[in-house]
Amino acid sequence: MSNQRSKYEHLMYPVDWLEERSGLVGGIKYFLFRKVPGDVNWFQTLGAATLTAFLVQATTGVMLAMYYKPDAKSAYPSIEHITNDLFAGWLVRGMHRWGASVFIILMFMHMGRVFLFGAYKYPRELTWIVGVILVALGLAEGFTGYLLPWDQTAYWATTVGININGTAPFLGPFIAQFLQGGEFINADTLSRFYAIHMLLLPAMIAGLIGLHLYLVIRLGVTSPPWSKEAAGGSNDSEPGADEETHG
Amino acid sequence: MAEDRRVFRERQFKQYKSDVKKRGKPFYPYVMLHDSIMSLMVVGVIVALATIWKWTTPGDHTGIVMHDGVASTEGTSGWLGKLNDDPADPGTISFTPRPDWYFYFLFYLLRIFKWPESVILGTIGIPTICVLLLIAIPFLDTRAERRPLHRPVAMVTGVLVIFSMGMMTYRGATAKESLGSELLGKVPVWAQKEGFATNPKAVAGAKLFAVAGCMNCHVYLGSGASNLGAPELTTEGAQHRGILFQVEHLKCPSCVTKGSPMPAFASQGQANLTLLAEFLEASQGPK
Repeated sequence: MSNQRSKYEHLMYPVDWLEERSGLVGGIKYFLFRKVPGDVNWFQTLGAATLTAFLVQATTGVMLAMYYKPDAKSAYPSIEHITNDLFAGWLVRGMHRWGASVFIILMFMHMGRVFLFGAYKYPRELTWIVGVILVALGLAEGFTGYLLPWDQTAYWATTVGININGTAPFLGPFIAQFLQGGEFINADTLSRFYAIHMLLLPAMIAGLIGLHLYLVIRLGVTSPPWSKEAAGGSNDSEPGADEETHG
Repeated sequence: MAEDRRVFRERQFKQYKSDVKKRGKPFYPYVMLHDSIMSLMVVGVIVALATIWKWTTPGDHTGIVMHDGVASTEGTSGWLGKLNDDPADPGTISFTPRPDWYFYFLFYLLRIFKWPESVILGTIGIPTICVLLLIAIPFLDTRAERRPLHRPVAMVTGVLVIFSMGMMTYRGATAKESLGSELLGKVPVWAQKEGFATNPKAVAGAKLFAVAGCMNCHVYLGSGASNLGAPELTTEGAQHRGILFQVEHLKCPSCVTKGSPMPAFASQGQANLTLLAEFLEASQGPK
């Protein structure tokens, strides 16, 4: 036994090395083996599902960025090239195109679940606020990404969309001009939307997802409110008052 | 009272943590298994949507079909819509400008709040208020009660919000669109009804009006769509704003009418814009 242990011990050196410097191994262990309420249910997988949809968007987005050309002359042909010529290009583009819808549906479903469970209540208010900002940023991703194929639908829907931003009091005209990169929608608008869509917003979203997850892990997930076994109770009555019935 | 509540909810959270410690289960493998199954389903659905989009597209899944020996993307919508729309053309629109479906509910707000008095409510006001309200929820609802049946206000509000968003999305999706070619056929009727049949410039302007996409937002003698709550133009000429105003307005609507969300049509060129202006000024209502 001791012989076998020493035989494999050197395999652990890199792990020990990493743990000694970063504490990462301990962090991962904490993440994996932390306790969650025993009565969590399938509705509570919607957060993970949303994260997966975001990762699909990030992955397919990077692949598309390798072939997409963000200028008014070549944007449309580059999308055609991706769809028609590249191996599985249609699949990558299609997954990004439809993944966006799935991502947005899942964000709203996840938000609905949290609302139904009353999981936004003390001490999880900040987690909820970060989530609301994530929904807004997700919708902004949808808006900026819609222009990138540079086709008729995209062009005119974005024109109206930008004009709507422009009607906002005080800041409106500046926002509209910032989005367009000028007085009117033009070739610069496309590269500007591209930069916002694939640099600014994804960085913000990734950062806020990190914060969201940190808060979820720090504060724990809630039991379904109707559960008889709900951890910490689920109502205004004194916690622990009905301890006996829990067993 | 506030002090009591704070102490109470802190104690409740402490209880939560001890309950989880005592009766909880580890994230791995239980929760992780469910999360992974759900995630795989998500990826599966996305792949399925992409595949259905591509493989139901006519023309051997390319979206290009031959019409009388000419390659065309006309009528090549699969189950999930066209693979490629026509390239962007700042000069013409021949369809309703539409955002992706998850913005339909926002677009539909523009139908409820009509131009010009309350349009800012529909464009910026309501969405901003909604986001602020969402952020405020945990501070408006500070009770510890989480059981849905004991939170009637929250549940009724939630159901109403979901219902109205669903309804607005549906109405936005099924809003009527008219095709330029159908509208073109109505020009002689318009000319006769509004009495500008003897004004060739106005008639030419009416034809442009029918095909340039104006009627995707504006209504004229009962035709066109009011999707975006743009003003009806049947009696536009009765306001006697003048050709010059109309041309300047078409070139850059928001420069002339502050806050207008209408797109600029400067790319139509001075000559076409003058014809459109002639038509609008001649539209003094049915005679």
